[in-house]
Amino acid sequence: MGESRAERLLRSAEGVAYWAAVAPAVACLPAALGYRIACWRGDWEFRYRHRKRAELVRNLRQLLGDDLGPDDADRLAREWFRLASCNAIDVMRLRYRARPLRRLVEIRGREHLEAALAGGKGAIVCSAHFGSFDSAFSLLGASGFPVTTIGRWQHNYTVGLSPAERRFWDLVYARRLRRHRHRPNIEPWAGRVGVAAQAATILHANEVVTISIDAPPLDGDLGRTVDVPFLGRRAGLLPGAVTLAQVTGAPLLMAFMHRTPDYGHQVLEISAPVPMAGDTPTAFARCADEVSAAIRRSPAHWAYWASGGDLARLGVLNTDADRSPAAEPTPAPPVEPTVKPILLAEREFAHDGPADNVAARG
Amino acid sequence: MESIVNDYISREIVQNQEVLPLSNDTSLLRGGILDSLSLLRLVVFLEERFKLTVDEIDLLPENFDSVNAICAYLRAREPGRQEPARG
Repeated sequence: MGESRAERLLRSAEGVAYWAAVAPAVACLPAALGYRIACWRGDWEFRYRHRKRAELVRNLRQLLGDDLGPDDADRLAREWFRLASCNAIDVMRLRYRARPLRRLVEIRGREHLEAALAGGKGAIVCSAHFGSFDSAFSLLGASGFPVTTIGRWQHNYTVGLSPAERRFWDLVYARRLRRHRHRPNIEPWAGRVGVAAQAATILHANEVVTISIDAPPLDGDLGRTVDVPFLGRRAGLLPGAVTLAQVTGAPLLMAFMHRTPDYGHQVLEISAPVPMAGDTPTAFARCADEVSAAIRRSPAHWAYWASGGDLARLGVLNTDADRSPAAEPTPAPPVEPTVKPILLAEREFAHDGPADNVAARG
Repeated sequence: MESIVNDYISREIVQNQEVLPLSNDTSLLRGGILDSLSLLRLVVFLEERFKLTVDEIDLLPENFDSVNAICAYLRAREPGRQEPARG
């Protein structure tokens, strides 16, 4: 059953209040208390957002297998809501040159990024819609690396948002992240053919380009995806980051930010350069494998569990058989897909936090 | 110049062989022949082959929509005619 208009309005109001008033205030409190409050808000959402919770649990169980019991799936769903609320606090702690957030994040593998830049060809840092990835990119910028992100600000592209809403999300969210990035985001979109060349120019200037490689492809990009193993299935992902690395000679590193069990502290791990040997699909499969491994280590950190449409567009969830609550031992008859991929224009805007690229978070 | 550019695009960028042989005035963008990453590969080729630098602000559809448009842009960048083509 769909969400009523009143429920939707209430949820929107709560999201706006959280981002505009609660999160900025809570981010000024001592970290332990601030993130505790964010977790309470996550628990409240877990309790009352029944549809989203059910979808999370269903998708988690479908993709992570039967080893994940109902209790485990519930625990991960609760964790997912908590992390989404904590991510808002991270964004607010990017004030004052991001010092309040930098105090809480340990960067491991910084030497890999420094060594990559010493090569003079720039560096590509790949991540996923994983944890507080947007804040992680800005944190790298605040830590002295000239960072530019390839990714769309969701609020600029979602159809149905009023100019006032777009302005609101730009003010409370994008502006805080943008402040620590060296240049404005490079936003891929249909007809913008200069995007890769723009990124190459940045790499030629020996700067850092960051990108999340797990975004579901747009319609116009479906023909350019490569089929790679992902979470035990096959996903169609865009290998642009690898092509960019191969054309420009820039090293490509993987980076993931994990939240520690106390919720306040995080570890941003940057890998050594990923080998680019072989053709593009082979090299890209190595990157996708890193994303897959990170998600398996910390499943609740991945944004897309909440969106069956995005998972369908990625190709990892696509049939009625996938949607049944338990795995069927016998082959299911062929059926028409019922999890419709979500086009960006049809996407419901995430009122408790717009992520860039195309993630619907929370 | 047209034949060099046409050969490169036909050999390295065109994926759908049905569009070959490529006419010099075929729209590379509307025809889906050129996307963001293949444009980057083309720019790298042009810079190496013709010893020039393609400015970011010149990456306009008008300058790269066909072999003829690309060659017109390149000619505008020849020494003595350094006023960049803005489309």
